[in-house]
Amino acid sequence: MTLWAKLRPYGMVAPAILVFSLFFIYPIFYMIYLSMFDWNFVSPTKAFVGLQNFQDLLSEEDFRKVLTNTSIYTILTVTLTTGLALLLALWLNKRNIFHGFVQGAIFSPHIISLVSISLLWSWLMDPEYGLLNWVIGLVGFGKLQWLSHPSTALVSLVMVAVWKGVGYNALVFIAGLQSIPADIYEAASLDRSKPWTTFTKLILPMLSPTIFFLVIINMIGSFQVFETIAIMTQGGPINSTNTLVYYIYENGFRFFKIGYASAAGVILLIIVGILTIVYFKLLSNRVHYR
Amino acid sequence: MAKIELRNISKKFKDDTVIPNLNLTIKDGSFTVLVGPSGCGKSTTLRMVAGLEQQSDGDIWIDDKCVNDTPPGLRDVAMVFQNYALYPTMTVRGNIEFGLKNRGVAKTDRNTLVTDISEIVGLAPYLDKKPQQLSGGQRQRVALARAMVKQPKVFILDEPLSNLDAKLRGQMRTELIQLHKRLGTTFVYVTHDQVEAMSMGDQIVVMNKGVIQQADSPMKLYHDPENLFTAEFIGTPAMNTMSMKDVRGLDVQANGYIASLGFRPEQALLNAGPEVRGHVIEGEIVTRESLGAEQIYQIRTGGGVFFVKTFLAPLATADRVKVTIPYEHLYYFGPGGERLRAGIEAGAKQLVQAGGI
Amino acid sequence: MLKSVNDTISGVPIGAAAKNDRVFVRSKRQALRRTLRAILQVVNYAGLLGLVLVFAMPFGWMLSTSLKTLPETMIFPPEWIPHNFVWQNFADAWNTGPFLSYFVNSVVIAVGILVLQMLTCIPAAYAFARYKFKGSGFLFGIVMVTLMIPGQLIFLPVYLELSAFKLLNTHLGLILPFASSAFGIFLLRQAFKQISEELLEAARLDQAAEWKIILQIMVPMVKPVLVTFALFSFIAHWNDYFWPLVMTTNETARTLPLGIAKIREVEGVATWNILMAGNLILVAPILAVFFLSQRQIIKAFVYNGVK
Repeated sequence: MTLWAKLRPYGMVAPAILVFSLFFIYPIFYMIYLSMFDWNFVSPTKAFVGLQNFQDLLSEEDFRKVLTNTSIYTILTVTLTTGLALLLALWLNKRNIFHGFVQGAIFSPHIISLVSISLLWSWLMDPEYGLLNWVIGLVGFGKLQWLSHPSTALVSLVMVAVWKGVGYNALVFIAGLQSIPADIYEAASLDRSKPWTTFTKLILPMLSPTIFFLVIINMIGSFQVFETIAIMTQGGPINSTNTLVYYIYENGFRFFKIGYASAAGVILLIIVGILTIVYFKLLSNRVHYR
Repeated sequence: MAKIELRNISKKFKDDTVIPNLNLTIKDGSFTVLVGPSGCGKSTTLRMVAGLEQQSDGDIWIDDKCVNDTPPGLRDVAMVFQNYALYPTMTVRGNIEFGLKNRGVAKTDRNTLVTDISEIVGLAPYLDKKPQQLSGGQRQRVALARAMVKQPKVFILDEPLSNLDAKLRGQMRTELIQLHKRLGTTFVYVTHDQVEAMSMGDQIVVMNKGVIQQADSPMKLYHDPENLFTAEFIGTPAMNTMSMKDVRGLDVQANGYIASLGFRPEQALLNAGPEVRGHVIEGEIVTRESLGAEQIYQIRTGGGVFFVKTFLAPLATADRVKVTIPYEHLYYFGPGGERLRAGIEAGAKQLVQAGGI
Repeated sequence: MLKSVNDTISGVPIGAAAKNDRVFVRSKRQALRRTLRAILQVVNYAGLLGLVLVFAMPFGWMLSTSLKTLPETMIFPPEWIPHNFVWQNFADAWNTGPFLSYFVNSVVIAVGILVLQMLTCIPAAYAFARYKFKGSGFLFGIVMVTLMIPGQLIFLPVYLELSAFKLLNTHLGLILPFASSAFGIFLLRQAFKQISEELLEAARLDQAAEWKIILQIMVPMVKPVLVTFALFSFIAHWNDYFWPLVMTTNETARTLPLGIAKIREVEGVATWNILMAGNLILVAPILAVFFLSQRQIIKAFVYNGVK
């Protein structure tokens, strides 16, 4: 092998690796470094405070609230999106024009900007004149406050996230279902397998890679929720929808507590890192491979 | 046209020795077939000749040039792959002339060559189609044309017919033989199918576990196998063999120790008269396969299950039969599977003179 | 099975009457099953219609609101069709900020990112898929970390970095952090891996140089994945709100989503008619493209999930 042939792969990956190092890997370390300083972004000196930022964060009521909010939001969004999507997929898994149209309709929010979706749903959830209150009025409910009340705001945000994501998830499931060879169903029916048995013993295990993929994607997406919160609630009312990324954003860009925000960022990094590792472990141990 | 020589070739994959020490000369202009069960190293050998695989040790010579360090593109070999390996993004024409382009052949020359070749293999109407639009047989022809157009010294074919259905395979077999005659180039062909090997090759190299068992003409291989492996590998059905322990009523004197005895299914006779002098085994017919001109019987005897093949004879209906194998058609093998020739024939003759059983 | 059990229990040979009875029961059961199936069919289609409404109604409502006067938006119960179509709302929305500049910025940034991603992802993916080289595991680990860790997590240090490079409020500052995509590398690597080795060997025997093999054979073969990835990348960055919001402090490099979100600040919180008009400006092109090439786009996005 010539020298050039030996160097070629490095040359080919270099630009990408450079970009990742500069804008991903280095910032991670820089953030960990910053998390140990007290700095307001404008002052020329940074004061080293060790782990003080973390101590402050973890003892702060607001931050614990933020962690709880983020977890509730993530758990609700992920289970609802994935579960509903699976049901929808089983229902819509047919190849005809009408089903195709329905699939297109439920998918459409996925490619719409979160800005648009946030604005649209803010309007739909308007407590006075919103369409949603009219709809629930039709079935006999009274007006809800939606985003304006601490008890419903977070769930309202979950609703928007599910509405946006469920179609995409369902379509991924449908693709997964269609990649299961038809003769497996035929063999099962010849073996007189009941539909429920076919579902739990055959379909579900064969879909498990898809399920795991979606759960990971949805979790990571939910943990970094920002746009809907920034536009629809700004973390309120009374901090009921303040989540991690929004919290970091506010501390960094509004209060200029760079070190403090970085420490929160490091905590988010640790959570996401653990989740990723756990899921990859599960993935390699349990998931049935086609 | 070229002669290929493999000298002391060995190939290791990590700690796995696939080929321990291989020496082989492929004659100029021959149609040489490497045949053997899967994993016997035949494809590896072929790929080393093409330069797609680097040998761990030893030299490969094409004509009078050692090509150890020559990259595949410059060895002047062309290859037809098992799955054809056609470039799916190029038209048939694009596939055929890609190699020419890379060699810097001028456009007008390329066009003449492509036109000529496509006439020969019958692809002229399909030149602007993509490979995906063609049938299996047509793709095979594109792969052939792509190899031929480069006018290589050596043609290498790696199980090229294994993806075709039986009828087409037979047809392509004939076409390949004719093509070889016409071009006169050295063909090296790999297959696991001994029928294919026998029908196409003029030199057949039988391999097992990375070792050449025998390299000979088809007729020599059939009539004069060097060892048990070749004997059991060649022929449909293959040679019947039995351990000498199970042989009754045969008195053989030999110089060496005879471990097993063999005979070809088509050389055994059913219910022959006493005028045929040979070894007689009694047995029971288990199955009968009638193919019209020939019949194949599976017969169970005390020494195991045998096949017997008869031609243009009425179907034997009896359950029990007497199988006679003329003495001159018995093969003897030593404990290592090696063929024993010297001294045995005399022993057999003596037996006959003694009046037999 | 059941039949034979009945027969042995009763001990009576099957008579004609018994047979008729059974036939009668069976046909009745069949009729019941048929009606049940018909009902199910109706329920199914009604359900599907409801499903479509859940997803289409919000968009319809957006359109309706965008054509209303402000007082009309405050009627409850709501009215679906405005008395007069107020096209002025769109002009008002457009005039709340430098929308031409927003639009140009959006195009420059989304296209710039796309081009750079293609240039960096294709060779990297190819190298990871096809070459064995020392340290490839470690380098691919960097890609995987980048893939799994959300970008929202590290915006603060990146902001400081860009500010140090004097790249805030520039197109370049919004493009460079996305000049390569871990997701793109991951996808393309899978695609390159699936190409059979035979094909490469054939090309080598055809004396093709390595760059020629890559550009003329391998890249055309992964074209569907490239299109997929391009669609994905373009839509994602066209829609992006977070990064332009965080990485800009003035209007010079701001994009359409920021402009739309800003309408609320300019016009006041409750001017839903103008807000929805602005929203429609942002959504309509994407929805139009989606309905024209629904199949490809769905395939593009869903394919990513399955592979």
